[in-house]
Amino acid sequence: MGTWEGLVTGLNFALQPGVLIFCLLGVLLGTFVGVLPGIGAMAAISLLLPITYYISAEAALIMLAGVYYGAQYGGAVASILMRLPGTPQSAVTALDGYPMARDGRAGAALFAAMVSSFAGSIIGIVVLVLLAGWLSRVAVAFGAADYAAMMVLGLVAASTIGSARPAKGFAMIVLGMLLGCIGTDVNSGAMRFTFGQTELLDGVNLVALAMGLFGVAEVIGNVRDPERQAVTEKIGFRQMAPTRDDLRRMVFPSLRGSGLGSFFGALPGTGSTLSSFLSYAMERRIARRPERFGHGAIEGVAGPEAANNSAAITAFVPTLTLGIPGDPIMALMLGALVIHGVQPGPMMLEARPEMFWGLVASFGIGNLLLLILNLPLIGVWVALLRIPFRWLYPAILIFICLGVYSVRGLTYDIVAVAGIGLAGYLLALARFNPALLLLGFVLGPLIETNLRRALLISRGDPMVFLERPISAAFVVAIAGLLLLSLVQWVRRRRRAIPAR
Amino acid sequence: MQRDWTDIFGGLALALIGAGAAGWASLHYDLGSLRQMGPGAFPVGLGLLLAVIGLIVAVPALRRAGEAVPVEPWSALAVLASILVFGFGLRSLGLVIAAYLGVLVASLPAPRRGVTWRLMLAGVVTLLTVLVFRTGLQMSLPLWPVWI
Repeated sequence: MGTWEGLVTGLNFALQPGVLIFCLLGVLLGTFVGVLPGIGAMAAISLLLPITYYISAEAALIMLAGVYYGAQYGGAVASILMRLPGTPQSAVTALDGYPMARDGRAGAALFAAMVSSFAGSIIGIVVLVLLAGWLSRVAVAFGAADYAAMMVLGLVAASTIGSARPAKGFAMIVLGMLLGCIGTDVNSGAMRFTFGQTELLDGVNLVALAMGLFGVAEVIGNVRDPERQAVTEKIGFRQMAPTRDDLRRMVFPSLRGSGLGSFFGALPGTGSTLSSFLSYAMERRIARRPERFGHGAIEGVAGPEAANNSAAITAFVPTLTLGIPGDPIMALMLGALVIHGVQPGPMMLEARPEMFWGLVASFGIGNLLLLILNLPLIGVWVALLRIPFRWLYPAILIFICLGVYSVRGLTYDIVAVAGIGLAGYLLALARFNPALLLLGFVLGPLIETNLRRALLISRGDPMVFLERPISAAFVVAIAGLLLLSLVQWVRRRRRAIPAR
Repeated sequence: MQRDWTDIFGGLALALIGAGAAGWASLHYDLGSLRQMGPGAFPVGLGLLLAVIGLIVAVPALRRAGEAVPVEPWSALAVLASILVFGFGLRSLGLVIAAYLGVLVASLPAPRRGVTWRLMLAGVVTLLTVLVFRTGLQMSLPLWPVWI
């Protein structure tokens, strides 16, 4: 199927009222949770997972994706107006967006964030289409060894790149992979770590794990947060209108940010947080007057916002064409697809064109909806920022319980959510990243299956990973990343010793 | 001496979990061979790896000052209690009473005094819950206690 033909199929699919409504629902809900500090896209997507049982796999994916990129828009609103980033990516936006708002230029900052987010998304969509087509042709040649090596590379990249403490990241990934072993082993039928509990035969419930780690744990951590001050400034269309100078300053940072974001988003394990940081650093480095950054430079809003939105879209490349989630949110998306019995892979573009092209079309539609809706709705989001968390979190807890109960109708799962929530809270306190645990949980079983298959084919010869050129390249990359973080660790120690 | 206790305890706990999982798996599940890996091989490998990484996290922390961690035991207790009250009450007490009690318990640690707003919030959330999950999503849940 050609690109144009595919796009037409996708648009036809995504514009059906029964699908469009889920796209709209997703982006609105995403903006909502992005605006609200205290719950993020992970929590919102986990909360919605049970609801996806009631709709088709395609509509589910479109809705969950809408939550993801919608949250980026909402996160920008909260960071600019209150310096309270709702998502980690938008923390960068607060650096210059909040000073702009304090200078009475909140409207211009919001305009810059939204327009560059839109531009980033459109560029991301183009890159997604080109890369996905190419990658799914290449990936047909991938064997079990290549898949296993690539997934390990993704996990290593996720825990080392941009992390101050890679060892703690690795620990979470391995713990997640161990949790992924729980349940019936597909190859032998052996029951692993079930301890006689029949509820665990199918493994740890992904919905319970995600809701516990991201819903319950985040609620516990935020219950006693002090009340937030309301925004006083009124923001209407007049305040949103950018000056000619603003517009001129926005264009190239948005384009550069989109390029960075599209590239890093598609790589496994890096994702949108890294690309928005990189975009900010780059804009500051090439600016003629870098001292303006941090004091309300519009470039520092436009670049990172374009970067994180394009990365959010190209992140779907490895998920859809290889069936390998590059970051924890993609791991949840993959989980949602697997719940529906869909296993993404190189054949998906051909086998389920509506899923791939429908999603691509929904990105365009959803971002357009966000752009059109958010400008007039900005007053509503500002009002929402004033809702105290104490009114919200009890409802979130009840919704989590019923959501997880609706999957299998077992009280066991509600109790499990409480236990996982406590564990997640403790992990967050000790600065372990629970998102990496989830990534390991989803990828662990896939790695095990491919590892066992690869070694079976090679008659037990581990050299297979170095003999196949594709997997050898991944192995070299893994070794390089590990070496790099070792070098950084040694350097930091050397610097620390003379300080004593 | 001030030490980085979070990393020491966190790392040790993970190392214990890893060693425990590896030990349990090697005793109970077949390891197999490299060519035909058994169900035990992967968990044993992961368990040992986690044990080593846990130690890598914990040991350097012994010689390093850490920062105090703001723990909120009451928030954690109230949130978990609310989930358990709701979870165990759902089938016996029915959706309405379980949700009402669940919200009340959850709202205990909220940073605002007063009883009225808590009672009202519980009422509103209960109503929303019934509307979304019973009326909207048509989940089969008892609304009221079974003995009524």
